[in-house]
Amino acid sequence: MNKHDESRRAFLKGAAVGAGAVAGVGLVPDALAQQHDQHQPAEAPATTAQAHAHAGHGAFLNDDNAATVTAFAERLMPGAPGKPGATDAGVLNYIDLALAGAYADQQDFYRRGLAALDTHCRSAYGKPFAQLTPAQQDETITALEAGKATGFTWPSAQAFFNTMRTHTMEGMFADPVYGGNKDFAGWVLVGFPGAQPLFSPADLQSKDAYSGAPIIGLQAQSKSPSRRT
Amino acid sequence: MATEKTDVVIIGVGAAGGILAAELGKAGMKVIGLERGPRLTTADFNPHDELRYFQRQDLRPNIKRQPVTWRPNTNSTATPMPVLNNGNQAGGGTVHYGSVSWRLHEDDFRARSQTIERYGASAIPADSSLADWPLTYADLEPYYDRAEYELGVSGKAGNLQGKKIEGGNVFEAPRRRDYPLPPLLQDQAEVLFGDGARKLGYHPFSTPRAIVSQPYNGRPACTYCGFCQAFGCHVGAKSSILVTKLPEADNTGNFKLLTGATCYRISSDNSGKVTGVAYYGPDGSDNTIEAELVIVTTFIYDNTRLLLLSKTDRFPNGLANSSGQLGKHVMAHMMANVFVGFDDRHLNVFMGPSAQKHTLDDFNADNFDHKDAGFIRGSQISIGTGNLQGGPIALTTVATPPGVPRWGAAYRDFLAQYFARHAVMVAQTENLPYADQTIDLDPNLRDAWGVPAPRVTYDWRRPNERARVEFMQKKMDEIGHAMGAHKVWRAPVSPAGAPGAHHEGGTRMGGDPKTSVVNKYGQSWDIPNLFVIGSSTFPSMSGFNPTLTIQALAYMSADAIASKYKKSPGPLL
Repeated sequence: MNKHDESRRAFLKGAAVGAGAVAGVGLVPDALAQQHDQHQPAEAPATTAQAHAHAGHGAFLNDDNAATVTAFAERLMPGAPGKPGATDAGVLNYIDLALAGAYADQQDFYRRGLAALDTHCRSAYGKPFAQLTPAQQDETITALEAGKATGFTWPSAQAFFNTMRTHTMEGMFADPVYGGNKDFAGWVLVGFPGAQPLFSPADLQSKDAYSGAPIIGLQAQSKSPSRRT
Repeated sequence: MATEKTDVVIIGVGAAGGILAAELGKAGMKVIGLERGPRLTTADFNPHDELRYFQRQDLRPNIKRQPVTWRPNTNSTATPMPVLNNGNQAGGGTVHYGSVSWRLHEDDFRARSQTIERYGASAIPADSSLADWPLTYADLEPYYDRAEYELGVSGKAGNLQGKKIEGGNVFEAPRRRDYPLPPLLQDQAEVLFGDGARKLGYHPFSTPRAIVSQPYNGRPACTYCGFCQAFGCHVGAKSSILVTKLPEADNTGNFKLLTGATCYRISSDNSGKVTGVAYYGPDGSDNTIEAELVIVTTFIYDNTRLLLLSKTDRFPNGLANSSGQLGKHVMAHMMANVFVGFDDRHLNVFMGPSAQKHTLDDFNADNFDHKDAGFIRGSQISIGTGNLQGGPIALTTVATPPGVPRWGAAYRDFLAQYFARHAVMVAQTENLPYADQTIDLDPNLRDAWGVPAPRVTYDWRRPNERARVEFMQKKMDEIGHAMGAHKVWRAPVSPAGAPGAHHEGGTRMGGDPKTSVVNKYGQSWDIPNLFVIGSSTFPSMSGFNPTLTIQALAYMSADAIASKYKKSPGPLL
C-alpha cells in the first residue's frame, strides 16, 4: 500500500466517523463534528431527492454545489426501478471524496465549472441547474456536450461535461472503497462480479451470466448483496 | 551527491534493460540499472482495482510530472498526451502490458524490398522513409526462441521448420520448435471469433502471450482473472521482467538497481566516448556514475530525449546524431475497433487475459495481395476488450453504437444490456515511417525535474494509412456478422488525430552510418561505447506488438557485448 492509499483510507475512515457523529460523541474530532453540523440544512429538505442531495458530501463540495453535482450526475445515469442510477450509487460521495483527495488539483475546475453552469441556467431558464426540470437539465447537458452553452471560459462547456461524465462513470463503477458504487449498485446494474481472483474453465465456456461467486470488492467489509438472478 | 564507478550503466530496466542486466551480469560485468520508478512485487498487485490501475494509470508515468506532448504537425502547438502507456517501474511496460508476444514475419524485416519486388517502387508512398532492417528473421530466430523459452510464452506453432500446422498461425515465419507452453484457454468471444473467421475462410488462432498457461519456472499458471493490460499480475503468471529477468540479474551478484533514479544526461568527453551518466535521486539529489559502457533502454520518448539533452560542443546535435536521423521516422499503431453485441447470450469478456485474445493474420504484413488495395502493409485482427481490459469503467471510455447517446437512460440501458454481452475486435494497423514524424524537446513544457519534455510530432491521417484502416474496418464488420452478432458497430479511429499505440522509432537502426543512428546491435555508429536498444531502433513497425522483438534484440545485443565487445571494446561492425 502506498502513501496515497494510506491517506485515502484514513480519510475514508474519518469520513465514516463524521457521518456517525451524533452517535459517536467524544470520538469525533471537533473539526469534523463542526463540519458535519454545518451541513445540517437550515430548512428541512422537502423531498427525498433533496435529502439525497445533501447526503454523501462534506469533504469538499458545499451544499449548493453538491445539489448541482447530484442533479447532473443523475441525468447522466438516471435511476429507474430495478436500475440503480447515480444517486443510488452515491456518485456525489465519490466525487466529493475524490476532489478532497486524488483530484484535489481539479477543485478550481469544479468551482468555476459549476458557477458557469448556474450562470448559464439562470440566463437561459431563470433558475440554477438543480432547480430545472429533468427535461431542461437534459437540454442544458446536451448544450454543454455540444459546446453550445454560453457563459463558460475555463473550463470550457465541453471540458466540464466530459469531466462530469467521466467522474460520474467512475462513481458508478469504481470499487466502493472510493465512496461510490454503493452496495455494488453499478456492478449489479451491468453484471460485473468485481475483482475475482480466478475464473474456471467452466466459467470461460459459459454462455450465461456469471454467477459463480459473490461480487468481490477491495475491502472484505464491503457488503456483498445477493447476486442477480 | 553520490559518485560511483561501474562497468555498465543501463538506463531504464524494462523489456530490454532487464534482459541486458541479467545477461551482462552473468558475463561478469558490473552493472548498475537506473529506474525512475519503484521496484514492485507480485504482492503489490493484489487486489485488482480498475480505477487505480486502468483509469488513473498507477503503473504508468504520471502525465503531470512526466509529460509527453503531441502535435499533428509543426504548425500546431503540442499539448500533453492524456494517457501514456509505457511503464514507470522496474520491469517497465512488461509489468502492466497485455503480454502479446509476436515474432515478426520474414517480410517485416524487408518491407521495402518486398514491396518493390511485388508491386514496384511506386507502391511506396513518395514521402515514406520505409526501409529494410539491417538483419533478417533468420538472424533473430535463435533469440526469439530464447526469449520465448526463458521468459515463458504460451501459444501453438503454425510453422514448424517450414511445416504449416493448422490451429497455429500458418502465416508465421518458420520456428525451430513449438512454444514452451500450450495456448491459453479460450473464452466465449474467442470461440465466436474463431468460428466466424473460419466461416469466411480465414485462419484464426490463439494469440501467443507471455502468460504461462501451466506452471513454469516456479511460477503458477494463469487464473484467467481478466486483469492484464494496465494491471500487474497478482499470481506472477505474466512473464514480466519483474518475475523473470530481475531475479536472474540479482543472482549474478553483479547487478545493482537504483530506483527513483531519473537520468537526465549522458556524459561524454572530447575523445568521442561516453563516460557515464547524471541522474536525480528520489530526494532530488544530483548524482553521477562513471561507466565504461552506457546502454539506453528507456521507452522511445526518452531514448531520443536523453541523446538530445546530452549534446556537447563535440556533439552539437545530440549524441549519436552525426546522421541527423535522431528523433525521426516515428511510428504508431492506429487501432481500428469494431464492436459486436449479442442479444441471446453472454460473452463475459471480463474473464481471461484481456488483450488481443484470438487473432487472424490473413491481412497482416504482405500475407495478402495488395495489388488493388490502395495501400501497403497490413494489420493483425484480434478479438478482445474495448480498451484492452474488460472492466465496466473501460467500457464507458469507448464508442457507443450509432443512435445510442453517451449518457442518459438509453446509455444506462446500453451498458446494462451489453457489458457482459459484447466483445471488441481490433485491427492494429502497421503505419509506415515518415521522416517528418519526429520526437524532439518541447520548448514550452518541462517535467517535474525541470527538464524539457519530449515532444512527438505526427499525424497518422495519410492516404496510405487511411486506406488501410478503412479496409480493416470492412473486414471486421464482415467478421462481426459472421460471428452472429446482433449489433456490429465501429469506433472512430483517433478522431482528433491523437497518437495510437506502440510508438516506435526515433533512433533508427540501419546498415549505413549516414542514414541510421545505430547498427543492428543498437550500437551508436558515432560512439561505440553507447548502445540504444528498444523499439526506438525499429526501421518499420509491422502489424505486431513490439515487445518480443525488443526482447530478442536485447538478447542478441547482450550476446554480442559479452562475447565480442567485452574482449575488445570498439565498433562491432
